[in-house]
Amino acid sequence: MYFPYFITYIAVGFIISLSVFIWALKNNQFKDQRRARFLPLENEKGADAAPITGISRFEIYGLLLLACAGLLASAAVLVFALLPGGPP
Amino acid sequence: MTDTSLTLLPQPHLTAKGFCLTSAFWMVIATFAGLLGATELIAPDLTANVGWLVFGRIRPIHINLVLFGFVTPGLLAAAFYYFPRLLRTELFSEKLGILTVIAWNVTLVAVTVSLAMGYTQGREYAEMVWPIDIMIIAAFVLVFTNLAMTVKGRREPILYVSVWYVLAATVLTAATYALGNVIWRPDSGALVGIPDAILLWFYGHNVFGLLLTPLAAGVTYYVIPRACRTPLYSHTLSLLGFWSLIVVYTHIGTHHLLQVPVSTWLKVIAIVDSVAMVIPVMAFLLNIWFTAKGRLGEIHVDIGAKFVFTGTIMYFFVSIQGSMMSLPQVQRVTHFNNWVVGHAHVGVLGFAGMIALGGLYYILPKITNRPLYSRFLADLQYWLILIGVVGFTVVLTFAGLIQGSAWLNGETVYRLLAEIHVYYVVRASLGLMIFVSAILGLYNILQTLYGKPGETP
Repeated sequence: MYFPYFITYIAVGFIISLSVFIWALKNNQFKDQRRARFLPLENEKGADAAPITGISRFEIYGLLLLACAGLLASAAVLVFALLPGGPP
Repeated sequence: MTDTSLTLLPQPHLTAKGFCLTSAFWMVIATFAGLLGATELIAPDLTANVGWLVFGRIRPIHINLVLFGFVTPGLLAAAFYYFPRLLRTELFSEKLGILTVIAWNVTLVAVTVSLAMGYTQGREYAEMVWPIDIMIIAAFVLVFTNLAMTVKGRREPILYVSVWYVLAATVLTAATYALGNVIWRPDSGALVGIPDAILLWFYGHNVFGLLLTPLAAGVTYYVIPRACRTPLYSHTLSLLGFWSLIVVYTHIGTHHLLQVPVSTWLKVIAIVDSVAMVIPVMAFLLNIWFTAKGRLGEIHVDIGAKFVFTGTIMYFFVSIQGSMMSLPQVQRVTHFNNWVVGHAHVGVLGFAGMIALGGLYYILPKITNRPLYSRFLADLQYWLILIGVVGFTVVLTFAGLIQGSAWLNGETVYRLLAEIHVYYVVRASLGLMIFVSAILGLYNILQTLYGKPGETP
């Protein structure tokens, strides 16, 4: 009979999250969202605009190759696990 | 009406520097432990008569040092830099920050020495003995106190999403760590039977998901808009991502126990929430990617942003894997084998580790007022890690599928070892690349902080 403790844990977590959410709501944390988008850009002093550079084509191809390799590995797992003829 | 003028005085950034050094140094130790462990899997007799270097001790040292020594301090270094900026105030206490850095490093030494000496509670990811558990919780409390007091003294009324993420990470980790390590039972650090397994995996999953994920998201939400010189695509969407992460992520640890006699309702919650993770994940990723849309050139120029952006792609990848793995049909093949090890490396090194390094490289020129010592070394480190992580994924997926299908067909463990040996050799080679990258990173960071000024960024 351990599960009442886990239900309690889940409930307590939810109540705390809800309380903080209500605090945020009451303190206008969800207002002025347009200005909030710019917050990281403030306090920026003396930063030069970054030069726009062409991205090295080889680097892009390398990244694409690595991404494909990783995704193909995961696709192999799915195919292997779910298609007929896979594990029993 | 909010005053948005810059009122910050020049700051010493001692805490951020301290965490930068901590991260860079322990990355070397942690990756060496990983390399040694991978080598022992190829040559089990390598450390046969050296008790404190056997695999059973090296593996927890590797895991805990990567988690608490390399990635977390790297992400915290960036957090201690951007908190005052986002809140338009000074850090509450640099002295407390330095104390935290010292306490953190003392704890890491204690973790390494105690595990090497064989002091362990024998629970995966929760191996540390009770005194060290208390030290870790205390370190998180110190971090939270400093950051929360900085929030309290803020002059910016709106909490930017990065602030939400970091505060949540510190609170949730302190609580998760205390519960998951059963600190009310100092002698064993465990419950008995199935409840302990559930509690352990509640901790085991959340110590990564509710520590590294929010800290990494916080760094990303700060670095990408700044590097791109453009506002965040949507702050509302970022908050949606944050709150859905908090609600959904906390209960998915039981997807590690689908083959265990755990109550079905708990498994259902874990599986449903694992699949539902697509909401916070995509809210975060779409927000970042739309922010960066059309500005990949800027990201390419900034080595910090380049690491961070790559980390977001890895996050997409590891999240697909996570949701996929929680499905029982898939987990029959992937559970208890090297596929999981690959998944863990994509998450911790590819996602959170990449973003931690990105955070470090982004803030270093700003906290030192000097350019990064060598962009070339940082780029080299980037490629070594990237090839290493993707290589891990591919190689360990192959090894995992071989193991998974063989065991499903009733094959014994030892008969498989010869078949997966070649994958272990490749894995150790990739580990060597990552270890070398850690040394390059440490050298680059030390030179940036204390050496002669380097090239322009």
